[in-house]
Amino acid sequence: MIRIFPSSRFTSLLSAAKPLRSFACSSSPTREPPQCASFAEKKSSPASNSLSFTPKTPLFLRPPLHATPLSEVWKWHDWAKDLASSVEDSSTNSEDSLDSVVLLRELKWLIEDSIVDDDPVIHRREIGDDCEKSVKLRASLEELYDLWRQRIEKRRPFQYVVGCEHWRDLVVCVEEGVLIPRPETELIVEMVEELVTRDEWYKKGIWADLGTGSGAIAIGVAKVLGSRGKVIATDLSPVAIAVAGNNVQRYGLQGMVEVREGSWFEPLKDVEGKLVGLVSNPPYIPSGDIPGLQAEVGRHEPKLALDGGIDGTDSLLHLCHGASRMLKRGGFFVFETNGEKQSKMIVDYMTNDLKDTFSDLRIVSDFAGIDRFVSGFRL
Amino acid sequence: MAVAALFRFPLLLRRSLPSPSSPSYVTYYRRTVLSDGFSYRLRSFLRYSSSDGGGGGGGSSGNDLGGANDTGIVVSEVQIPNYLKFSDEELMKQCKFETFRVSGPGGQHRNKRDSAVRLKHLPTGIVAQAVEDRSQHKNRASALNRLRTLLAIKVRNKVDIDAYSPPPELLQILPPKSTIRTSSSGSQIGPNNAKFVPGMQALLDVISACDGSIADSAKLLGLSTGGLSRLILSHDGLRMAVNSMRAAKGMKPLK
Ligand SMILES: C[S@@+](CC[C@H](N)C(=O)[O-])C[C@H]1O[C@@H](n2cnc3c(N)ncnc32)[C@H](O)[C@@H]1O
Repeated sequence: MIRIFPSSRFTSLLSAAKPLRSFACSSSPTREPPQCASFAEKKSSPASNSLSFTPKTPLFLRPPLHATPLSEVWKWHDWAKDLASSVEDSSTNSEDSLDSVVLLRELKWLIEDSIVDDDPVIHRREIGDDCEKSVKLRASLEELYDLWRQRIEKRRPFQYVVGCEHWRDLVVCVEEGVLIPRPETELIVEMVEELVTRDEWYKKGIWADLGTGSGAIAIGVAKVLGSRGKVIATDLSPVAIAVAGNNVQRYGLQGMVEVREGSWFEPLKDVEGKLVGLVSNPPYIPSGDIPGLQAEVGRHEPKLALDGGIDGTDSLLHLCHGASRMLKRGGFFVFETNGEKQSKMIVDYMTNDLKDTFSDLRIVSDFAGIDRFVSGFRL
Repeated sequence: MAVAALFRFPLLLRRSLPSPSSPSYVTYYRRTVLSDGFSYRLRSFLRYSSSDGGGGGGGSSGNDLGGANDTGIVVSEVQIPNYLKFSDEELMKQCKFETFRVSGPGGQHRNKRDSAVRLKHLPTGIVAQAVEDRSQHKNRASALNRLRTLLAIKVRNKVDIDAYSPPPELLQILPPKSTIRTSSSGSQIGPNNAKFVPGMQALLDVISACDGSIADSAKLLGLSTGGLSRLILSHDGLRMAVNSMRAAKGMKPLK
């Protein structure tokens, strides 16, 4: 018997509860089955582990404590709009420049996340006369000025500014130290969904999401697996472990998703050869490309999440080997890659160097038509 | 470019004039391309982005679009399926779903600037887009809703006026005054309800079969001309579709 899914008697209670601010979960440094005690129990007593880390509360989940005169909010809004509109042509490199259309959209979302009102008064300015009215904000106006400046002047990613990203039907908390999940990656969950709808066998076994980051894939997969789903999510980064744990808990999935800290397959020794599914979006950017990345990515997102070694395939190749050991016969895997060349290379490698181990190797393109994923089955 | 052409709004009118570009197997309907002014207005009504968002992805010439020819017009053979009857999932299967191809490798390299999506309905070549939501997932859902509206507006089903029997989805959107409504028609469904769309399609089929005449259509639907006009004016897309139909016949627009 493997003891990996701590059943939590708080599950039902927590699924309705607001996310907790302090949560930490990490494996013990020894290699015995990691102790990831019921997340709920950690809320009052900080984890004894020195690596414990407290995720930030995203803007939209903060209490609306800041009553602010509407007229002041408008002033801020106008300032923010002007700043957003003034960025055009600030850079000649179009891939790396800010775009005011996008910024204005982000400003709208920032307001959405900071104002309690469902129908933000700020958009109904014409109504006028209620300048004396005040609205409840989830951050002080001072902070909002600061946040918007960071977005534009520091190129801080919008998702870090508000502390969340909308991904599939989820709202995933993110912060510095954790990769912001990309829209391309949504397809991994889609592929899993397609598979498990076709074949129930995959719903009953254990899945793993390696390098889970915010936990987005693990949560998405757990949701499509249904009530019997079991997903182990691993990451080397303690920040990712804490953020992923928090997201899992926010969705009330602590009975289905277990977060384990460690490098790739190390925390999975107890399930070797037992997985029915393995998914991963490992770092795959060639090291040489890192300095030229878009400012939001290169300056703010963790290198650990991006840098895939000289040709970008260090982690991917490691995962290929692991997949052969970890998967059951018939088990499914899908990995995200840098696209095109890298996908081909992985398939070649699996066909030649890992001969007779996998079947139905496929390259699947993302919605932009880039050959983004490699999938297959363990023979 | 093909993408721009795909946004033109065709109407299939009952005539047998030869058209230089119409394939010979089209026997019943003739295609008419509406003015760009119309398509532009409708496009902005549906909040489309008219740009291709960075090239690629939309470069198809239209020749691969099954029912659409290279001007992107829906060509109807005598019987076409009523696409609105399909479930979201089934409809999705008939579509190619794309995001705008960004320059560069995408994925981890890029912090998404937006999550614009495009849904191309392969049997008709109709394209629906969405961009303004925060997740690609939701944008896809809105693109699908828009596709339904577009299918209702652009695809005309043949109606036999002489033996006309209105489908329930049409009865549902008619005002209570309509004499062809029955007790089983339920209360009137308004333009903000998703169920309005199939009714709107059936209504446009009737108006098209009546050559754009509101009076003739109203008679068929047990309504006064004013009553039908009010219904048409309650939905921007419906109003524009009717007005283009009328413009093509040299009739005055409804206001
Ligand atoms: C590209 S990110 C993907 C994050 C998340 N799965 C997603 O798709 O948004 C890669 C992740 O792998 C993690 N990682 C890097 N090296 C690792 C290792 N040796 N073992 C486990 N995880 C690792 C990083 O911390 C990062 O969270």
